[in-house]
Amino acid sequence: MRSKRLIYLGVVIVVIGLLGIPAHKLARKHVNYMTAVEDHPLMCTSCHLHMPNSGLIYKAVNKTYLSPFNLAISPDGNKLYVVAQESSALLVVDNQTGEVTDRIAVGKQPHTVIVSRDGKVAFVSNQWADNVYKIDLTSAKVIDTLKTGNGPAGLVLSKDEKFLYVVDSYSNQVSVIDVKRKTEKKRLVAGNNPTGVALSPSGDLVYVTSRRVLPRPYRTPITTEMTVIDAVKQRVKERKMFRDAYVMENVAFTPTGDMAVATLIRPKNLIPSIQVEEGFMMTHGFGIIEPGENGKIIQLLTDEPNAYYSDPFDVVISPNGKRAYISSSGVDMIQVLDLDRVRKLIAESTPEELHNYSNNRGISSRYVLKRISTGANPKGLVLSPDGKYLYVAERLDDKIAVINTATLETEKQIDLGGPRKITVARKGRRLFNNSGRTFQNQYGCYTCHPDAGEDGLVYNMAGVGMGRNVTNTQTLRDIGDIPPYKWNGHNQSVYKQDGMRFSTFLTRTEPFNYDDLDALASYIMTRIKNPPNLMYNPTGELTATQKRGEKIFFRTHTNCGKEIPYKSRCYVCHPPPDFTDKLPENVGSLSETDDSIPFDTPQLNNLYNASPYLHDGRALSLEEIWTKYDPGDRHGITSDMTKDQLNDLVQFLKSLRDAQYYSKYYSDEYKPLLKELYKNHYFQDKNQHNHK
Amino acid sequence: MFQKKLIYPNGIKVLLVTILILTVSGFSLKIKDAYLQGDNSVPNKTTPGRNYRILSPGNYSEIVKAAGEMPVYGHWKSFTEKDGLPAHKAYCVRIDGDRVLVGTSGGLGVYENGKWRTYTVKDGIAHNGILAIDVSKLTGDVWLGTLGGLTRWSAGKFDTFTQLNSGLANNVIYSVICDGKDVWAATGGGAGHYDTFTDQWEIYMERNAPMHEPWTYGVCAGDGKIWIAAWGGGVIEYNTKTKKFRDYVDPDEQMELDVFPDDGVVHDITTGVSYDDGILWVATYFGVNRYDGAHWNTYFDHDSGLLSNFNNFNRAVGSVVYFCTDKGLSTFNGKTWVSYQRSENNTGGKVLITNGPKLKNDVKTKTFSVPTSISHNFVIGVDANEDEIWVATSYGVSHGERIK
Repeated sequence: MRSKRLIYLGVVIVVIGLLGIPAHKLARKHVNYMTAVEDHPLMCTSCHLHMPNSGLIYKAVNKTYLSPFNLAISPDGNKLYVVAQESSALLVVDNQTGEVTDRIAVGKQPHTVIVSRDGKVAFVSNQWADNVYKIDLTSAKVIDTLKTGNGPAGLVLSKDEKFLYVVDSYSNQVSVIDVKRKTEKKRLVAGNNPTGVALSPSGDLVYVTSRRVLPRPYRTPITTEMTVIDAVKQRVKERKMFRDAYVMENVAFTPTGDMAVATLIRPKNLIPSIQVEEGFMMTHGFGIIEPGENGKIIQLLTDEPNAYYSDPFDVVISPNGKRAYISSSGVDMIQVLDLDRVRKLIAESTPEELHNYSNNRGISSRYVLKRISTGANPKGLVLSPDGKYLYVAERLDDKIAVINTATLETEKQIDLGGPRKITVARKGRRLFNNSGRTFQNQYGCYTCHPDAGEDGLVYNMAGVGMGRNVTNTQTLRDIGDIPPYKWNGHNQSVYKQDGMRFSTFLTRTEPFNYDDLDALASYIMTRIKNPPNLMYNPTGELTATQKRGEKIFFRTHTNCGKEIPYKSRCYVCHPPPDFTDKLPENVGSLSETDDSIPFDTPQLNNLYNASPYLHDGRALSLEEIWTKYDPGDRHGITSDMTKDQLNDLVQFLKSLRDAQYYSKYYSDEYKPLLKELYKNHYFQDKNQHNHK
Repeated sequence: MFQKKLIYPNGIKVLLVTILILTVSGFSLKIKDAYLQGDNSVPNKTTPGRNYRILSPGNYSEIVKAAGEMPVYGHWKSFTEKDGLPAHKAYCVRIDGDRVLVGTSGGLGVYENGKWRTYTVKDGIAHNGILAIDVSKLTGDVWLGTLGGLTRWSAGKFDTFTQLNSGLANNVIYSVICDGKDVWAATGGGAGHYDTFTDQWEIYMERNAPMHEPWTYGVCAGDGKIWIAAWGGGVIEYNTKTKKFRDYVDPDEQMELDVFPDDGVVHDITTGVSYDDGILWVATYFGVNRYDGAHWNTYFDHDSGLLSNFNNFNRAVGSVVYFCTDKGLSTFNGKTWVSYQRSENNTGGKVLITNGPKLKNDVKTKTFSVPTSISHNFVIGVDANEDEIWVATSYGVSHGERIK
């Protein structure tokens, strides 16, 4: 009996061995394909445990962190109010004990908190809910909900505190809210993707920063707007233009109002990315805005010749107006600027010299007093009323750093009580937001993909041929289910996208090690959420215009009754739920500087906020895709459409939300059409051909 | 040959000679005065049926008295290219606080602090031909309707919407108005509005609105309604709450004549609409209308104080409407007409007052000669406030002060 058992055991081992060898080979082959290398550790957990973007595994593996983003302080300095962006909460922190004493639930994706002068009321902007909460700080209750434009971000009260200025970051406006009446009085047009806001000490001006550049002709220098509002007339007074700069996150005035300081980045996106090695791809710094319509605008860098301090976010100025503190969120540092030295530099320099300084990394030592290390991803800043302490929201550490402004040392960190465990995706998010893996810390993933979206610029990655194949930055939100990646569709996975080629062409330094690559891929693949499409489709119920556009999207015949060929129907290349067939196609958009290749069909979800359009960003609006850049009806049959039909189609496209809201068959009305599509020989042949 | 010899008594001869001498000398004096003062009061074909009464020139107190409640403008000062206007031809004008915006064939002229400044396509305007201007009361943004698209001018920045890059129906914009957060444009390819809050367009044309064709000339707003002057379609009314249309067309369906007076829109080809103080005013090339929501009144040049049936544009400000005709500017408040013309010899102007909505036996037009006038009688645009008026003409723009 015993020998028989041994024989059975031996047979089982042999069978398992025989099966295991090919299974191992298959797994190896699979991993090699997905990672595009042959030596990535054969760990199934890398993808199958840490990459699901929903379901039980996702919930079990991932955590909801606090992610403190912005903060405010009570007038007596005893309490900190911290926006926990990821947890949709306002945390009340006892500044003496460092304990979180209250946790007030606020709206989705809160952005900014401000406190009234008497310290009794706070306002919190809920960026993904299109409103501002007014909170009674005595009772820690939300007492009013103030409706705003799309994507409320920065907040500031008028000097008499009767009006609240709300920066609508997605609809590019500023809402002027009558606080007492709880109504929106008006909306003023701001720059592109405005965020930060500050009131001048005199109370007569409101400055509003913008992150994205203004629409401009293809491949021309960029300009970003600083909107100046007359707070007395409540009208836009001036639009100050910052040339060659963008991502102006925040702005602060000196106490005397002799200048305002805004954070900014100066990208060099019109030249091939090989210039990274020359130290010339992204530079980071700040802008000085002198008062008055003829006041100078000066841009200065905080970078050094061989070191960059990427992604400046917030700026605060000391009560005596002598220092500015900037959070450099990509390098986990606070930069301390001596503003008197800045003033001296400006006073001693000619306009030409000042202009040249905007690209000069050799002068930051003249005004950067010190750089103070912080926890991961420092964002919002606030000074104590006496200016003795600087508080830093360490977003990806769930902590607040307390810096003594006399010693310029970190005295302590306030732990806000977020999850202790750092998940793989969280680690990936830290990597994503950090510039440490780029040549001299020049930029991080976040720099070109702010909020994991896209920065609206076109770049020449210089893979093959200088100046050729210029491409429009693509979003990284909600892309887990839509490989391949890159405009040419050559990358079958995020692993390949962010692996060796990433360091070769982009970061120009050592590639991510496999642990880091696993983490980065996990963060990207676990479905980075898009903001809800509250502007064009707040409820999921389409407007009459959008319904008409929906019919055009799914139409099979032209206005003349002629059947539209399969390849020219919108829904065939852009089927729901991702509105992409994930296959390459040539829609006639190739330019003379493009290699003759088809482009990966982009998803259409949330494309309302993704201008410019097409692979090289030539189309500044959705309309232009068909009115200017679709010669010969190659990008669908559209030439028969009337203007109102095109408008309807565009409005429908703008209504598209996240893929999770749609099924493969979209709706009962169009289910037969989509069923027929999936069975159709054209569609099947195309899939088979392109998946070879 | 028999010759009948008239024999008059000596007394009668003396009387006739005296009358003759006085008549001839008086007429000569009148002609001389008219010449010196730029008077154009001599009856002519362009102003038929008027009762002309010549008063002492420039006596504004008498004019103001005659005009009653109607505002009277005078002390005209005109501007052309030589004064800094971008081009002679001015299509539209808008008073915006301390400055005046004039749309011309050569760009936007801005008159401020006694100086003109010009903005053109080089600055970012869609087209130099600027046909319409409106200023948002909420934001202060200026909207320019041009021959090449719709431009928003906001604190120095020009943003352009065209039929190629936006939902704008057509690039040729005849009229633009701001109605709260909505901007309405009447274009050569339909009318439509842009919701500045939601960034969405809705456009209306013969396919989805009761229009004869998509060519629209004017648009105005008030009391929750939008009125569109549509070529061949009369007046289209849009209710912003119900989002429903209705149209007002010429009831008699006659192109050349108005069979029944006061029965509706005078003609299906409408060139302008303007609403204020509860009254909708309609301009056409064949006369004008007043509509109070229940009753229509029609006015022609032959039966009222309207200078001409050919109306380019109209604008209502409060209870007064301003009609821009090819023969000058007519203003009206439903009771009294006051019109302004440049004299034929181009050295002065006339003020014509009709104290009644329509001419009757006891209602005649009185004409006053004044030393200054609008720059040209072909009037295309107008704007006025409590203190002043600006008139855009085919040769320059004119500023008039309100005489009180």
